[in-house]
Amino acid sequence: MSHYESILSQLYEILGPYTPDGHSLSEDTEFIADLGLDSMKVMQLLLDTEERFDISIPLNIIPDVRTVGHFARCLQQLVDRG
Amino acid sequence: MRTSGEHRTELEPTPTENTVAFRAADFSTLCEALDYAALGQTGGNFYGSRGDLSAVLSYADLREQALSLARKLLSLRLDRGARVAIVAETDPDFHRMFFACQYAGLVPVPVSASAFMNGRQAYVAQLKALLRVCRASVAMAPSEFYPFMAEAAKELNIPHVGTLEAFERLPESQESLRPSEPDEVAYLQYTSGSTLFPRGVIITQKAVLANLNEIIIHGLKLRPGDRAFSWLPFYHDMGLVGFVLGPMVSQISVDYLKTWMFAMRPLLWLSLMTRTKATISFSPSFGYQLCVKRLRRDVASTFDLGAWRVAGVGAETIQSAALAEFAEVLQPSGFKASAFMPCYGMAEASLAVSFAPRHQGITVDRVDPAALSERGIALALNGRDPGSEREISNTRPFVICGVPLPGIQVKIRDEQGTVLPDRHAGVIFLRGANMMSGYFDNPEKTREVLSLDGWFDTQDIGYLAEGRVVIIGRKKDVIIINGRKIWAQDLEHLAEELPEVRTGEACAFSVLNPNGIEMAAMVVQWREGNSTRQGEFAHRLQGLIGERFGIDCFIEIVPPHTLPRTSSGKLSRSKAREEFLSRHGPAILQRKWVRRSASTEARQEESNPWAASSR
Repeated sequence: MSHYESILSQLYEILGPYTPDGHSLSEDTEFIADLGLDSMKVMQLLLDTEERFDISIPLNIIPDVRTVGHFARCLQQLVDRG
Repeated sequence: MRTSGEHRTELEPTPTENTVAFRAADFSTLCEALDYAALGQTGGNFYGSRGDLSAVLSYADLREQALSLARKLLSLRLDRGARVAIVAETDPDFHRMFFACQYAGLVPVPVSASAFMNGRQAYVAQLKALLRVCRASVAMAPSEFYPFMAEAAKELNIPHVGTLEAFERLPESQESLRPSEPDEVAYLQYTSGSTLFPRGVIITQKAVLANLNEIIIHGLKLRPGDRAFSWLPFYHDMGLVGFVLGPMVSQISVDYLKTWMFAMRPLLWLSLMTRTKATISFSPSFGYQLCVKRLRRDVASTFDLGAWRVAGVGAETIQSAALAEFAEVLQPSGFKASAFMPCYGMAEASLAVSFAPRHQGITVDRVDPAALSERGIALALNGRDPGSEREISNTRPFVICGVPLPGIQVKIRDEQGTVLPDRHAGVIFLRGANMMSGYFDNPEKTREVLSLDGWFDTQDIGYLAEGRVVIIGRKKDVIIINGRKIWAQDLEHLAEELPEVRTGEACAFSVLNPNGIEMAAMVVQWREGNSTRQGEFAHRLQGLIGERFGIDCFIEIVPPHTLPRTSSGKLSRSKAREEFLSRHGPAILQRKWVRRSASTEARQEESNPWAASSR
């Protein structure tokens, strides 16, 4: 499994509690349109993600994040830099 | 980020005890106040996401750096009173630029520093709207927000756009500084209008200092030895006036945590207050609620909140039950429920109108619901034997926000403008030296709310109970979620951007969910009867609202000609809300959306794939 795939699968695990029943996650899943995350849930998700990967996520990447796949690529860069 | 302690290995926060005598904002300008505060040792301290101290800015350093930056801004040869937009991230650079403007006779305009997931476009559009309406000559953003600001400023030809470093590279002008004078504008505050039609509250030096003086003496009863803590955004009145200006004009130290860091790790608020022994901190009810949600009861005793003497509550409907829970859970930390201090205010009043008395906690006024809804009279049941349990649950408790500050006149008026007596509900009007001069560049809107003899129409509904202010609702079309104001017209406009919705076919308003928490709902007229397509549509609209405003919004799809209109054909939000509530109970809001069929008029609630989700 590549580094990216490992991050993606961990991200799927983190997203479990945020995913409505009967919904399956993919790289194309959109955080707002598909998962319906409001701003407080996004903050909780960022916290879960920071703690899982032991990184600090700069807030200014968030406005450009739409899909799970895009977020996983951002995380990969942060982990590699870390 | 620069820090004032670059030469030291470890930063030291500014002390609580000061070396100059306490003065309660008895200054004629903010510059005069900073000149005095700079003689002492106190200042601001900035904490990072892991609770680490990341920057310290004493008032002495702030003054020196702001003076130097002011001379550099003079070299731009701007008109006196030119607007300087500042992305108001919680960062010492905000203070530097804000006070440089004061010394240079320029007008700072704090703008929002919050963007949502996939919200880049929306945030840039918002910045652009603000830059345009305030006719900014200068725009400053911290480096993490600079790309958004640069994009927003590009098409508007704003002549000077940069991070603070860019302005610090300017040469210092040799001309002498002429600081902003008592009758000049201290700042513009764009929190009162919608994002679509922003309204800039004009506050003069005199007005803000009049308000701060009374807040300090009569509201907080501040004294030497006090220390403030804040995670409130600098672009809101409570964050800016309450916790950037307030501590400085009273020469006390203040500790800051960025708003998003608080939203992510709310308990940092409590652990930092444990460390700094801060005595004053404010939050909307939701901030206290968020702590309770994240707090494991067994760790409550690891906090030490015994020093916290004023726990202010404002900015949205006060949830007394949630506050009681906070006090109960944190009782082992030494937190006292009597520290809660409900207050009432708004940007148009500089900040505050009234405070509940110190050390009394939350006091509610229980009134007879029938007398209130039928006759508009808030008949107190306090002291009267409530009789049965049933009668207690039938009364409506409203939080008492205390007597108005001495310099502020409060009057309650009916729809015709007649002044009403004590305990009669109506619209709240205010007058005082603390009030705004008007909305920037918007004489029409100013005339609508500000009379020639200085009375301001708050559009809040309430009454005076033995002279104490009680808020029961609002006339204005605003929905307050997590302390943030969302304007109904902004949500409607978003719906109207979709090809399915014509102008005037969407109506948004505020409703209470089954937990009594405010949320947004929108009724949309649409000819389409296919429920799958309706579902897709509701979903798409909710996605847009999430990106632009970061909130959930309940959607009801109704057939054409359902929405109520006034005699002049205007959409009536209050009537639409009333009708919505008569169609549905609060339980409906646990779903995502609902439709109403044209043929049968019967309610057809869609089975909801979201109902079992994590909420």
